[in-house]
Amino acid sequence: MIRHIVRKEFMDVVRDGRFRWCAALVGALLLVSLGTGWVQARNAQKELAAAQATARDHWESQGEKNPHSAAHYGVYAFKPRLALSFVDEGVDSYTGTSVFLEAHRQNDFLLRPAQDATPAQRIGALTAAQVLQHLVPLLIILLTFGALAGERERGTLRQLLATGVGRLELAMGKALGATAALALLLVPAAVVGAAAIVMGSPGPATSPLVRGAVLAGIYLAYFATFIGLSLAVSARAPSARAALVVLLAIWVVNGLVAPRVAVDLSKWLYPTPSAIEFAHTLEQEMANGVEGVDRPDRAAVTQNLLAQYGVERTEDLPINAIGVFLQESEVFGDQIFDRNYGALWDTFKRQGYVHEALAVTAPLLAVRTLSMGLAGTDVEQHRHFAAAAEQYRRDLVERLNGELTENSRTGEVYLASADLWSQMPPFRYDAPEVSWVLKNRALSLLMLGLWLAGAFVVVTYAVRRAEVA
Amino acid sequence: MQTKTTKTILLNEWRLLAADRTLRIVLPLFIVLFAYALANGMAWVRFQEYTVQVVREGNVQRTEGLERELTAIQNGAQPSSPFRDPRNANVMGGRRGARAVALDPGPLTALAVGQSDLLPYYYDVSIYTNETTFLQNGEVENPLNLMVGRFDLAFVAIYLLPLLVLAMGFNVLSGEREQGTLALTLSQPVSARRFVTAKLAFRAILVLAAAIGVSLIGILISGGFGSTGPLGRVLLWCAALTVYALFWFALTAWVNSLGRSSSWNATVLVGAWLVLVVVLPAAINIAAGLLHPLPSRVEMITAQREASNDAVNRRSELLARYLEDHPELTGGDATDEPNRAALAWAATDAVNQRLEEVSERHRMGRDEQNELIRRYRFFSPALLVQELLIDAAGTGDARFARFQSQVRAYAGQWQSFFVPAILAGEKMSADVLPTLPGFNFVDESLGDVGQRATVPLSALIILVGLVGTGAWVGLGKVRGAG
Repeated sequence: MIRHIVRKEFMDVVRDGRFRWCAALVGALLLVSLGTGWVQARNAQKELAAAQATARDHWESQGEKNPHSAAHYGVYAFKPRLALSFVDEGVDSYTGTSVFLEAHRQNDFLLRPAQDATPAQRIGALTAAQVLQHLVPLLIILLTFGALAGERERGTLRQLLATGVGRLELAMGKALGATAALALLLVPAAVVGAAAIVMGSPGPATSPLVRGAVLAGIYLAYFATFIGLSLAVSARAPSARAALVVLLAIWVVNGLVAPRVAVDLSKWLYPTPSAIEFAHTLEQEMANGVEGVDRPDRAAVTQNLLAQYGVERTEDLPINAIGVFLQESEVFGDQIFDRNYGALWDTFKRQGYVHEALAVTAPLLAVRTLSMGLAGTDVEQHRHFAAAAEQYRRDLVERLNGELTENSRTGEVYLASADLWSQMPPFRYDAPEVSWVLKNRALSLLMLGLWLAGAFVVVTYAVRRAEVA
Repeated sequence: MQTKTTKTILLNEWRLLAADRTLRIVLPLFIVLFAYALANGMAWVRFQEYTVQVVREGNVQRTEGLERELTAIQNGAQPSSPFRDPRNANVMGGRRGARAVALDPGPLTALAVGQSDLLPYYYDVSIYTNETTFLQNGEVENPLNLMVGRFDLAFVAIYLLPLLVLAMGFNVLSGEREQGTLALTLSQPVSARRFVTAKLAFRAILVLAAAIGVSLIGILISGGFGSTGPLGRVLLWCAALTVYALFWFALTAWVNSLGRSSSWNATVLVGAWLVLVVVLPAAINIAAGLLHPLPSRVEMITAQREASNDAVNRRSELLARYLEDHPELTGGDATDEPNRAALAWAATDAVNQRLEEVSERHRMGRDEQNELIRRYRFFSPALLVQELLIDAAGTGDARFARFQSQVRAYAGQWQSFFVPAILAGEKMSADVLPTLPGFNFVDESLGDVGQRATVPLSALIILVGLVGTGAWVGLGKVRGAG
């Protein structure tokens, strides 16, 4: 019996001109955004990789130089576009692309692509992820709002039930029919997406296919939630029109209102400092230290070294005292940076939790978080990259200070040979594992799970209670 | 007779609407959304105003610090550090004496946050100001929040207001037909045109009164009327809102005139909303990204690196060339032994020039893309109204670009003031401080804003005209019977 229902639903939908138009539009947008996303991500990644290689060239061809001068000369790190960023661009346009790694300072990421874009791009950016998050649910609503309410209005619901089909069976048939129709556009998109990943992903990533598969699962759960909700509303609404109105209201809250309310709520609960306050605090703490973290004193460092080596004059030290002092200053600075930047990142993280928690009102928030996470384009993975770049900076500066300390005496003008620079390891970034992402995003997984389960319960209840006429 | 009929329709509408449960919920809900959006925008303005104040106070403190130290040195004290000796022109004109310049929030920022959460609104100007200065980030903000955008009045107006209009009007004619009252109504001395126009006009007055009322309250509370020339901006804001709302009312009338069922109307109107507000802007952006990809800024970093490597190696040569190019800066007597600061300046200047080249190329690429978006934006009333609203608010690209170009000019003045002294190795004293060039932002005149608004506003009006004509013709064919 259920096979007949599924078949009938599917044929109904596919023969409906309105659905054909909508599905063609959404399907085309999905394929186009996948394609253009892939091309753009690949071009961007090529350019970033080239810039990273050039930065390394510059570093290696410094010539004879004092190691500390080299640390000031520094090196740039460029954030790579990860393999799945073509599916979901996430916050990539709003985080910087590049960071300057130098002695004494942790710098901000610069070059946010959005800053160069027009305001039109802020309302009209469309990635495959946005088609999946916003437009497919709308399509689901159009497919299913009349599924039960329409049958009731036409008086065919009574007939149907009279044939002996169970209510749940009927609802299941309707759901599967809609799913089959949706598959017409989702399966090709999934195939194209998978092919894009296999054929040559734009950038590096750990296990892109696994990420892609989990991503597909997440979206399927999201669509199933919408099908469930839509059928439930259709079962209980007084008319098909009323069902449509309610469902559209849900769609607006889910896609437009809740995300922006989450922004305000997160800023209200966990305010970020203004840029000028942040810079001011950092400057103050760097100059004066804070409780428990004191600025190293050059004279004291020298005294300690003299005592340690049992000599009277700095010239007699077997090492360069300035190198030791520089390194102690680095350690001091790093603590200050960790305090300030750490606090800022933690604020961002808490703000992110607010977005995730608000998923109780809108499943989109959970799906968006998971989607960006799996694509490697969320704030947490930006932080992951920033932390890797910063660690590289610290290691590099420490090694250079070590070169200065070990190979020269205090007060001596020391130039390291030109081949020292290529001995420093180049910057390499390993994107986090899928498990890391999912663990970070457990709240969203839970929320999506709750929505899916909730939709199932609600649709079962609503269909059982649905009035026949 | 005619006006009396209209009055009757309006009066009846009022009674009907007052009795309509959905509208009794939807309209107040919208007023709540508007008010919430306004409160949000106002909090943002306060934050920006406070920051601008802090930035300007920083200038005063910096100048006072310089003055104290210079006076002390004059009285025989040693400079705090040889590298930070404020008597040196490259220190006083450099980072130590840098002058912070800030842009006051746009007059109607409380209504439309626009680009003001993304673009920097203050800079430090010194002799080292160059194109990379303008690459700095704006306010500290969670990238996630930037991506989603703010819940401001402009958002409510662009996305949600059309939905309100559609909800109020999708069955304005079809509902009458479905209830069987249309034939009766049209048997009265009233045409379908007049009937629908009166019904929709009534709804339009309600919607616009709510939207404009909340806007005006916001402007009043945030003191927008107090500062320079906002009245014109307020008018432009109201005009843009009105025309945009009228577009959706006209579309509603047209769809109703086609004589289909209420649910058909609803589906088609929601579809139109989706296409005009969501799909078309996206399609235009995708096309722009494909045809004229935005050149990336990454090149800037590599160019800066290469130019400064090159410049450092050729400092003396560059200085000689610089002096040849600018004989006026040396006051006639070119120094035989260039000082270190002069050498450094020559290198800085060479790097700046290279950066300007790269930046210019980037700007050209960006302009090409913008040009394409500007050409196709006429298809989407949402893009047109967005442009109008944020431009009226003073939070659009144009005002920020204006600020940037004035900062650039000011940095030029600052350099002209200090560079001759650097080249001549001249020492500065506390007397110089009051004579330093100052920065005064010349805000856009009403004419500037009006000129920019002419094309998009006319385009919107033409769209309303086209759709309105369609509705007019369609309604002319509506008959009560059948």
